[in-house]
Amino acid sequence: MSTAKPPRPPRWADRFLEWYCRPELLEEIQGDAYELFDVRCAEKGPKTARRAFVWDVLRSFRLSTIRKITLQFSPDMYKSNFKIAWRNMAKHKMYSSIKIGGFAIGIAACLLIALFILDELNYDRHYPETGRIYRVVAEMTDGEFAGKGVDFPAPFAKALKDEFPEFEKVARINPNSLFTGGGNPIRRAEATQNTYEEGFTFADQELLDILQIPMVYGDPKHALDEPNTIVITKRKADKYFPNENPVGKTIIANNNTDEPVKIGGVIADFPPNSHLQFDFLITMKGVEFYPGEGNNWNASNYHTYVLLRPGTDIVKLEQKLMPVIVDKYLGINLSKAEVDRVKRTGRIYLQAVPDIHLHSADIHDGMSHGDIRFVWLFGAIAGFILLIAGINFINLSTARSANRAKEVGLRKTVGSTREYLIAQFLSESLLFSAFSFLLGLILAWLLLPYFNQLSGKSLQLPWLSWWFLPSIAVSTILVGLLAGVYPAFYLSSFKPINVLKGNLSKGSKNSSLRSALVVFQFTTSIVLIIGTLVVTRQMNYILNKKLGFEKDQVMLLQGTQTLGDKTQTLKKQLQQLPAVDAVTISDYLPIKGAKRNGNTVWDVKKEQDGNSFGTQFWQVDYDYIHTLGMKMIQGRAFIEAMRSDSQGVIINQSLAKKLNFAQPLGERITNGRQTFNIIGIVEDFHFESMRENIEGMCLVLGNSPNMVAVKLHSDNLQKAVQDISATWKSIAPSQPIRYTFLDDSFAQMYSDVKRIGRICSNFAMLAIIVACLGLFALSTYLAEQRSKEIGIRKVLGASVGSILGMLLQNFLKLVLIALVIAAPLAWYLMQEWLKDFAYRYQIRWDVFVLAGVAVVLISILTIGFHALRSALSNPLDALRSE
Amino acid sequence: MHRIHLGEFEELVLLLVAVLHGNAYGVSVMEEIEQQTGRSVNISAVHAALRRLEEKGYLRSEWSEATTQRGGRRKRLFDITQAGRAALEQSRDTYLKLWDQIPGFVPKTNMA
Repeated sequence: MSTAKPPRPPRWADRFLEWYCRPELLEEIQGDAYELFDVRCAEKGPKTARRAFVWDVLRSFRLSTIRKITLQFSPDMYKSNFKIAWRNMAKHKMYSSIKIGGFAIGIAACLLIALFILDELNYDRHYPETGRIYRVVAEMTDGEFAGKGVDFPAPFAKALKDEFPEFEKVARINPNSLFTGGGNPIRRAEATQNTYEEGFTFADQELLDILQIPMVYGDPKHALDEPNTIVITKRKADKYFPNENPVGKTIIANNNTDEPVKIGGVIADFPPNSHLQFDFLITMKGVEFYPGEGNNWNASNYHTYVLLRPGTDIVKLEQKLMPVIVDKYLGINLSKAEVDRVKRTGRIYLQAVPDIHLHSADIHDGMSHGDIRFVWLFGAIAGFILLIAGINFINLSTARSANRAKEVGLRKTVGSTREYLIAQFLSESLLFSAFSFLLGLILAWLLLPYFNQLSGKSLQLPWLSWWFLPSIAVSTILVGLLAGVYPAFYLSSFKPINVLKGNLSKGSKNSSLRSALVVFQFTTSIVLIIGTLVVTRQMNYILNKKLGFEKDQVMLLQGTQTLGDKTQTLKKQLQQLPAVDAVTISDYLPIKGAKRNGNTVWDVKKEQDGNSFGTQFWQVDYDYIHTLGMKMIQGRAFIEAMRSDSQGVIINQSLAKKLNFAQPLGERITNGRQTFNIIGIVEDFHFESMRENIEGMCLVLGNSPNMVAVKLHSDNLQKAVQDISATWKSIAPSQPIRYTFLDDSFAQMYSDVKRIGRICSNFAMLAIIVACLGLFALSTYLAEQRSKEIGIRKVLGASVGSILGMLLQNFLKLVLIALVIAAPLAWYLMQEWLKDFAYRYQIRWDVFVLAGVAVVLISILTIGFHALRSALSNPLDALRSE
Repeated sequence: MHRIHLGEFEELVLLLVAVLHGNAYGVSVMEEIEQQTGRSVNISAVHAALRRLEEKGYLRSEWSEATTQRGGRRKRLFDITQAGRAALEQSRDTYLKLWDQIPGFVPKTNMA
């Protein structure tokens, strides 16, 4: 044999074999494997031999060869394990309650957020054909209409059905308030008093066919297929037709007695987790909102839903949609260049119905949706709180290891195995986990109403669901094992000889890991605090930003179109009231969700192609600018005396900039139907959420009588409202007055931002509480540990101040490190969040200072109590026992 | 005698242990299977069969002397027991009896 080392089988495989194999079989199996290895080495070379060796080892891993699992499942042992765990828990009440309390808070937070997330994820999954139902979305990547939208022309649905056999059914809805979707006053045909109801939409019969909403009364196949029919939900049927079958009965909407609508059917209520929330579906049969609408491809007002045939290749279908629609319909009246541009930059795609709720943030559909990012955000926050609580558990368990070390040493000396000790420590953490879950469940149950208020949902703990209690049980075990595994291995690793000799340094071992964990806890808490501060500031920034109009003390009377001719009378009478400054009749208001009317306008002197701009086109009356406190920066507002103003238009700055006239006043613009003279330029005002930039705006004179805005100047708001109500009553005795205030409606626009802010701040608070609980216990413990040291220091002349400083500095160092890590992290995260807003608060250094000072103060208060107590203690007490 | 079931592979291993006569252990049995039948098996399968046969009482085993080979590990040498021999004979008789009942079958006699 040569002097070269003989090849050896892979070490890890050999070890693995030794680890799993029963001792009595090992020699035979290992010997044979070695022999085979040598033979193969000689025959086929070491590489093959090694591979074959590994294979032999793996193949020998059989039930008959592996060691018996040495854990003994004797109930007595477990009884004693739990008994000891219980005694330990009862002995150190403070530490135990902090471990359990912190965990319980974390678990309650996780539970609540899990419920929230589950609810968010379960939208629109309840339809029988959910998998085949889609919403049609159009996306333009370029030009004036860039973005995603779901509004399509009236004939679009029919075109889809005619051109593509893949669509089994196509349905339109039109919930736009422009066409009396939204809210309307209604009454039973025989009643006189109207009630205001919301949740109206126009819909095709096919919508019922596609969604297959269960029908309480009526024929689901024919409920909406006659003109002037309506389908209402169960709850509205119960309200207006208690204990009777309303099918065939009539109701009157908007005082329109000429066209009563007949009830074609009653459907079950839309469940809360449906993105469609309507109570009244009016048929689209025979409805044209203006003559020729059915064939008009220039106005888009219809959301279109489709039912695909089974087995349709969606990608292929989507590729065909835009080209076919443009070539055959949309593009007929467009120039060649325009057709090409639309085909190049636009596409039509299908959005699965269950995706609508969480994945529509960038789609303009006039509905309020959830947002998948918040689902992730909240999930992460809950996870972090649980993690912080888990770290408390680990830190306290290992910090107090000195107390358990003697126990471990003694147990090992009298013959306990490491496995047994691990089992014992794990049972202990399981017991903790069980108590925490119990408390956490109770906490979650108590906090649920509050959380519902916070999140705007109506969640319930699903006690009776088959999966709930089992998954709680599984989580209990999982969390118990995860939190307990490190302390268990750590504590059980002590060598009895060292422990009993007293060599184990008290609690200081592993302090670097513990410090790292504390830093992690505080980093998380600080990020949450800074996040909360930034959200709040952004909120205030929006609510107080100069808007270009006056939102305070403006009262909005709704549903005024039902007064008919008397709307003008109302205006005149209101103007007489002493508390009233000005009154304007217009549906168009600078708050989100009010009426909108998109148009394209261009300079009459130029071609439409390439020079047209998308703008809002609002019909207002003479007092509009004055009532809403807008500012003219050029030209003048409408004047009643000027007859020619009916041809006049007031544009905003941003449109003026786009049109780029040298001298805009007197120039003429057109929307294709009518031409207008520019008589004034109004200062830009925010009429959409501040997430968006201010778009172009045209104000023209016109009649839009759904709403009346009243500007008040009164310290006695109550009196003013009373007066206005009285005036209303005298004009419309059968109609209850409905009003809101503009600033309320404005605040409503940002309710989701507010909600996020509130949820964040609540959970940030929970996180910091849990983290401080841990810090409190840890500092208490270490102060106890060092009581002798402190005693000696005092005897030798240390001052209270220096001892206090010494004790505080340890932890403050960690908190400061956390601050240094957290500040840039939070800054980055919040910048990302703020990108959502076109108008945003600039994060300043004071946010970080504020968060830092708050955290440092909280931790000083937390640590300080015990630090002070030990610093002030009489050294005699500490040293007496020595 | 109570009939204990003998699997096909077990029977083969049992036969080979008898053939190897005093030099039967995991590796030698495995190699013998390969040479005599052309079947390639994993060592773990041979070990499992040997263990089962020993449990059934058809084999007995003893340790060989340790050598420098095999990383100093001893061999476990197997030998067939009386019961094992009886089981093999019984198996053979059963087969022969059955073969005899196949019409037109002439048993091949060993000419050696």
